[in-house]
Amino acid sequence: MHLLEVQNLTKRFGGVIAVNNVSFQVDEGEMVGIIGPNGAGKTTLFNLITGYLKPDSGKVLLKGEDITGLPPNKIANKGLVRTFQIVRPFRHLPTIANVLVALQSHRGKRRIEWIKTPERKAMEMLEDVGLSDMALEPAEILSHGDLKRLEMARAMALEPEIVLLDEPFGGLNPVETEYMVKSIQRMHLDGHTMVIVEHKLHALMKLVKRVLVMHNGELIAEGTPEEIAKNKKVIEVYLGKAV
Amino acid sequence: MVTNTIIRYVKKAYTDFATHVYDVPPRMLAFLILIIIANLPFMGIPTNRLGVFTTANLIAILAVSWDLLVGRTGQISLGHALFYGVGAYATALLYKYFSWPWWTTIPLSIIIGLGVALIIGIPCLRFKGPYLALVTMAFPLAIVGFFYYYRDIFRGETGLSVKQIFTPPIVSYSQRPIANYYLSLALLTISSIIIYKIATSKTGIVFVSILDDELGSKACGINTTKYKLLSFAISGLFGSLAGAFAAHLTGSANPRYFIEKTALIPTEYSLVPIIATILGGIGTIYGPIVGVYIYYTLNGYIFEYVISGVDQPTRILVFMAIIIFLIIKWPRGIARTIVEKLEDLQEPREVEEILKEKG
Repeated sequence: MHLLEVQNLTKRFGGVIAVNNVSFQVDEGEMVGIIGPNGAGKTTLFNLITGYLKPDSGKVLLKGEDITGLPPNKIANKGLVRTFQIVRPFRHLPTIANVLVALQSHRGKRRIEWIKTPERKAMEMLEDVGLSDMALEPAEILSHGDLKRLEMARAMALEPEIVLLDEPFGGLNPVETEYMVKSIQRMHLDGHTMVIVEHKLHALMKLVKRVLVMHNGELIAEGTPEEIAKNKKVIEVYLGKAV
Repeated sequence: MVTNTIIRYVKKAYTDFATHVYDVPPRMLAFLILIIIANLPFMGIPTNRLGVFTTANLIAILAVSWDLLVGRTGQISLGHALFYGVGAYATALLYKYFSWPWWTTIPLSIIIGLGVALIIGIPCLRFKGPYLALVTMAFPLAIVGFFYYYRDIFRGETGLSVKQIFTPPIVSYSQRPIANYYLSLALLTISSIIIYKIATSKTGIVFVSILDDELGSKACGINTTKYKLLSFAISGLFGSLAGAFAAHLTGSANPRYFIEKTALIPTEYSLVPIIATILGGIGTIYGPIVGVYIYYTLNGYIFEYVISGVDQPTRILVFMAIIIFLIIKWPRGIARTIVEKLEDLQEPREVEEILKEKG
């Protein structure tokens, strides 16, 4: 049984088919990348999987359980957690409280019933991403890079079965990207399963073992980073046809 | 020799006090304000004018509960007087038709207020932002029409009369306003402490996360509908508590609880909490209390009683100008600005310290 199984997922917005008959599987402990040009339907695919949009047809199975069409909070509580392309911090709250919100959810509460102080657990999560110095500062004063890391800490606080990262390197400078790559590698070594959507191919190719390529809502290729880099169809999609 | 000891003792006490004031500024400030308003009846305000401040205390409860719902959870309600009126009418109807004593009707009317909050909250909280504001605004208006239509039961514009809590054998007529004032002040103190505790608890953190970003909160696995309803219910509970006591302290429940007209300017009980909260600082919980006191001191006492010789249009103009000036001068709220200034003086606390306190 696969950890996450997506079967023939389709979503239309009026006449546009944003996601067209997409199927793929992710096994436990895997790190999968999804790439594709702008408008390929990558974020829509994430929204369909995590319940922010309802698919027109198709199924999403988590550990064999049908989770299609469930509200996002229920899906998160089942262990399928996502981050956002555009950061969504709780700006009025201190950094540490941002993580505490996740610990306050059904799943978070269950996971930490043996720890009396969720504050300490939240501090650990912040230390993992290197934000412990900013714990008491309001989230609104954090830089974009810090917010991206805060989002990671928040997702990890739910102790997810599988994490969907929507452009974790978006808007980061090279140093921050390097730090983020290391964080993700460390989390992967801890045994977390991950699916990453990304534009920065250079950073992504270092991380993942398997890449899916989307174009116009369809999966057009699948393989190791080396295979994908040589794939004619993929090069055509990114650079245009040779005349 | 003795004087020297006394002076030294006073100096030490003063420095201790001065350093500790900065330790817990909001708490210290709240304590000072409580001392001042607890002494109001002895500060030259005539006894028959204390009613204004009794109302202020009860409206402050309403404003604080509005702040929890709007300032902390982000669910905009423009019809919060609904709970105030429901509380008042529930207790009045129970008294009229069953003639139960106040200590049974008030808890019952609070439960009724909670029920109304849940019944209205479940369909309404599907709306977001301005749409929710419009829907909530409609309820008090609709219910007043309902009361006018069935005037045999609800007595239309005149309203229902209620037996007062303090009656002559226990408290004389001349002392009644003072007793009413202290009862309302005690209620305000207890309710605002409870609401402040809720707002700063872990549940309160989740409320703020919904205010900041509902989708983000859902991504954290939070059942936002449940928490929004919880906030609405708590808010409705305290609103109806204020209304129920208002009926028993003034001796009547009438449509003014939904749409009130004071002598100076017509104000709605839905509107006063909003103005007061913005005046004091939205989302602070303590701000609305300061705001309500400023509003009622100006509107109900100074402009209505102290300088009542001036003609009404001028008074309204000056009153409005002062309120607008205060909001422009301190857009983040008077109370919040003061507390933030005090907090800047304080030594920043270390994370480890706080964790140690928690154990």
